[in-house]
Amino acid sequence: MAVNDNKVETVEKAEEKKPELPNTKEGNLVRELLEKAPYAEGSVRREKRIEFRVPAERIHEFLELASETFEMLMQISVVDWLKENEFELVYQLWSVSESVHAFVKTRVPRENAKLPTVMDIWPVAETYEREAHEFFGIVFEGNPRLGPFILEPREYEKHPLRKDFNTLSYVKTIYGEDFDRYDESKTNYVI
Amino acid sequence: MANLEVPKELREEARKHDMYLTPISKDTYELFFGPQHMATENFSIILKMDGNRIERAIVNPGFLHRGFEKLAEQRPYFTNIALILRICVPESDVPENIYSMAVDEIMGWEVPERAIWIRTTVLEMARLSAWMFWIMGFGNEIGLYTAGQWAAAYRERLMRLFEELTGGRVYHIYTVPGGVRRDIPGDRWLRQLRDTVEYIKSKLKDFDEILFDNYIMFERTEGVGVMDKRFALKHAVTGPNLRAVGVPYDVRKDDPYYLYPELDFEVPVLKEGDSLARVLVRRYEIEQDLYILEQLLDMGPPSGPYMVQDPKLKNLPRFKVPAGDAYAHVESTKGDFGVYMVSNGTHKPYRVHFRGPSQSHGVTVLEELLKGARLADVPVILKTLDNCPPDIDR
Repeated sequence: MAVNDNKVETVEKAEEKKPELPNTKEGNLVRELLEKAPYAEGSVRREKRIEFRVPAERIHEFLELASETFEMLMQISVVDWLKENEFELVYQLWSVSESVHAFVKTRVPRENAKLPTVMDIWPVAETYEREAHEFFGIVFEGNPRLGPFILEPREYEKHPLRKDFNTLSYVKTIYGEDFDRYDESKTNYVI
Repeated sequence: MANLEVPKELREEARKHDMYLTPISKDTYELFFGPQHMATENFSIILKMDGNRIERAIVNPGFLHRGFEKLAEQRPYFTNIALILRICVPESDVPENIYSMAVDEIMGWEVPERAIWIRTTVLEMARLSAWMFWIMGFGNEIGLYTAGQWAAAYRERLMRLFEELTGGRVYHIYTVPGGVRRDIPGDRWLRQLRDTVEYIKSKLKDFDEILFDNYIMFERTEGVGVMDKRFALKHAVTGPNLRAVGVPYDVRKDDPYYLYPELDFEVPVLKEGDSLARVLVRRYEIEQDLYILEQLLDMGPPSGPYMVQDPKLKNLPRFKVPAGDAYAHVESTKGDFGVYMVSNGTHKPYRVHFRGPSQSHGVTVLEELLKGARLADVPVILKTLDNCPPDIDR
């Protein structure tokens, strides 16, 4: 029962938040997009920064809507939240016409993380997705060029930017203990 | 989208003219361009050639990967400055500044006026020295070596000024969260900076004669590597490359930071979208940067502290940043350079993710523009896009 109560509360909070959008350019942009996409949550962070939270199943649909105002996809940033066992993907969008930056955040579970590609909306996403695939192991369905990109082929599928990848142990296995990486006092091993 | 597919008749004609490059048994061959080639700067392209024409280009980065983002997660906030500035070699102040801006935003700090003035001046000096570096590279690629030698000598003047201000020539480790690391050496340094600005300004017409108004430059760049507005926006092309297709987007105007709202400058825009337009936009920007530096010097540094007064800064290795995230970006000579920073309340950043302009210019855009280009156009396209491989690898 307690769980249900919590859910009701969060829904109420979300409903309360909506009218709080300020009557600025940013607030109007969020309002317009949320009218078209009621499944998303939106807020204004500060001047020229807005934020959306979208469920992973509808991310492609949402970004297609957003691409009408936000012409450029600047980056796809991945954050590895190890405790929550989730990857957070932040699509950094920029609107040239409105001069507003939008964070579009979505979360996927860490195991077998899969998302649809957005290459069909912004062709530049190919590069960002290749990078996210190589460093975090997220599969973008529909991107034909996922594979070794920046890292050496032997490092592929090691996903070094995941929080559970230990740089120190990897360096030791590759270079052995002789690889001198001690600090000046010879007490601490430095990465 | 720039349609650079060459018609079959044209390709056959080109093949006739470039007989010496066509192997007798096969029509196509693979050519490895870089990473030792001067134009590519530690970056390689695999070209599928048909005679002298490129059928397909595959970008092969990774020669400069040093894992900065992973290492930054394992170091305290202030230590990271010495690390992340290596992401952009010709303009090392840009990563420093965006990193500091992101930390300032999460901390909610109001950076003192004097620090803001110094940061703006340092950024503009970095832009000017990066332009000189670019003239050097571009001049060398098209065979006009004199311009390159001159530019390198003028850059030296700026590097000496940087050395006096920060202690470093190429990597300055100067802008830190909350302000800058030390104060301006004195009025003599300001006078030297004004002299340098005036000197480079007086030399611009020499550059025009030898490089920007040169018949050879026009012949090499006109109509090479054309892109249109829609293609540029879809591929997140920024900076002078975007302004060369007619979109007046400049971070300094559209998302103003530091002193830029108070400064008076123009954003040069051309419509053609070819290599020549990209070169000329850069030429006009050098002029604007000199003008901005003059205005800053006329303004003079405001008095006051050059660092935020915060008791948290007393113990730097244990300096903690509250949980939150921020995106900061500045206009570098290559384009929109940004960073996304996530903090979870500890003394190390949880995630630092950089957005270098070459992530779009150097991979998908380059691959598209090289389709159908001649082999001799590869350095021209690379240099007019101002590709910087460490942005891609990091």
